[in-house]
Amino acid sequence: MTGRSVAIVGGATTLFGVRATTWPEMAQEVGAALFRAVPELRSEDVDSLFVGAAEPERFAFQSHVAPLAAEQMGLRPHRVIQRTELACASGQSAIRSAYAAIAAGISDVAVAVGVEKMNLPSMAEANTSMGCVMDRPWDGPHGATAPPFFAMVAQRHMLEHGTTPEMMAAVSEKNHRFANTNPHAQFYAKKFPREKLLGLPVVAPPLRLGDCSSMTDGAAAVLLTAEEFVPRYTKTPAWIRGTGQYSDFHNLANAGSLTDWVGLTRAAREALGRAKVSIHDIDFAEIHDCFSISEIVEYEALGLCASGEGGQFALDGRGDRGGDLVVNPRGGLLGCGHPLGATGIAQAVEVFGQFARTVPGERQVPDPEWALVHNLSGSANVHSVMVYQGGGAS
Amino acid sequence: MSAEVKPRRGSVATTSRDAAVGRAAEAAHPSSGAAPSKEKRPFLLDFFPLEGPDQTRLSRFYERLREGRLSTTRCPHDGERHWPPRTACPKCHSEELEWFDLPETGTIYAFSAVLGGAPLGLEEGVPFAVGLVDLDGDALRLFGRIEGKPWTELTIGGHVRVEPFDLADGRVFYRFRTVD
Repeated sequence: MTGRSVAIVGGATTLFGVRATTWPEMAQEVGAALFRAVPELRSEDVDSLFVGAAEPERFAFQSHVAPLAAEQMGLRPHRVIQRTELACASGQSAIRSAYAAIAAGISDVAVAVGVEKMNLPSMAEANTSMGCVMDRPWDGPHGATAPPFFAMVAQRHMLEHGTTPEMMAAVSEKNHRFANTNPHAQFYAKKFPREKLLGLPVVAPPLRLGDCSSMTDGAAAVLLTAEEFVPRYTKTPAWIRGTGQYSDFHNLANAGSLTDWVGLTRAAREALGRAKVSIHDIDFAEIHDCFSISEIVEYEALGLCASGEGGQFALDGRGDRGGDLVVNPRGGLLGCGHPLGATGIAQAVEVFGQFARTVPGERQVPDPEWALVHNLSGSANVHSVMVYQGGGAS
Repeated sequence: MSAEVKPRRGSVATTSRDAAVGRAAEAAHPSSGAAPSKEKRPFLLDFFPLEGPDQTRLSRFYERLREGRLSTTRCPHDGERHWPPRTACPKCHSEELEWFDLPETGTIYAFSAVLGGAPLGLEEGVPFAVGLVDLDGDALRLFGRIEGKPWTELTIGGHVRVEPFDLADGRVFYRFRTVD
């Protein structure tokens, strides 16, 4: 790989949940948290700002959010300032853009921040906004939003592979249990044993409430820099070693197989190939469990198990503590909530915290060296993957 | 309409107007800049598209739908069939596309239902079923609302037909209806 080595050298998140606060206020809150988390950081160090925000026009009636976020965070970027929008993967897109700018020598020190305000007085209005992530004039009028699409994925997976509601509940129980170790998670204080999950109301059959991530308000930010500046900020950098993305359709009619996410397989192959490691070298992964069935399909597409065996992988606890690798230690989207643009950044904050050993002890993955992060967006029509390495030299 | 009615299959566009999905279509209908006056909901809170020739180069889709024909475009140069209808071929980038009718019946590939949390303008129908439908004798798979039976009685492989319908404000759209 050409270009300078780039690392995440600090990060912070706000509380995730149904927040009594606005989009700009959360940008201030996460800015203050980032400067507290990285005491060596001076605002004049930050030459570039990348803002992951999926739908501020819809949820906050606000465009041109990059300078807004800069002002709220006390930053005056002078090299690159921009917003990145890729629906549910807007956050990782901000990190990828900052990484590219630093690797190319355009930026030296950049902040990638994700902010999303989703809870509105009228949730019908919020649902309308979620609907326009789909192919609006063709799929939208039929009532397409994420839950019925991922419900069809679950239905086909159950038909083709014998996956059961208990297997999906196993994913949800694990991630909610992990969220009980994360004070920033939306469901930090709530317990969701499997039997409770299996009795929650059906949202989009066969998916129940506990199979679905939430509409969440929250923000997260990371600091990125080039190898020569890393020691200024941390002794425990999270080095970006590989990145890959793949997009193969948008309209739901063109999805092809609902249960074989070829795009994720390709994006992961690209990212792991650039990092020169295999999926079996990964110590922990933050993957996009927008729905419980998503994590099951992702186990398979990532090559953690054979096609069709993702449900059994979940049931056997192979993504749990003591399993093959720890999947979603911070609690995932199911346990933390899913503020669209903030999710991908919060995943990276977890990677940095795990490598830095600053997460609570009960959440710490033993001796992690390699981490994989996956965001999907829309109807799983874009997959975004990054691979990180902890410790060591650049 | 009963299940015995033969679907119209792949009838090739016959009029020059049908074929006008390229730049000529826009030139023939210079934009008035105004939305149709009957629409009550602000455009940005309305999932149903603006359908008129002063709004879209694909207005022929809606005109044909009003005639009871669900149709889409294909490229006469490479034979590529598109969904949704297009103004330029994604394969060879030709802008001279033609319309053809899709089969009127198909089978359910996958389905679910919206039991709550529906967007504005769609809450009245809750609960409603949606699904992916494989059109008969045709490789195209379409997403849509499925009416006729409650979602609890739908099955994968169940038969449906295409049903165009009118919106209160004069626009037109399509959905599927179960066929016993």
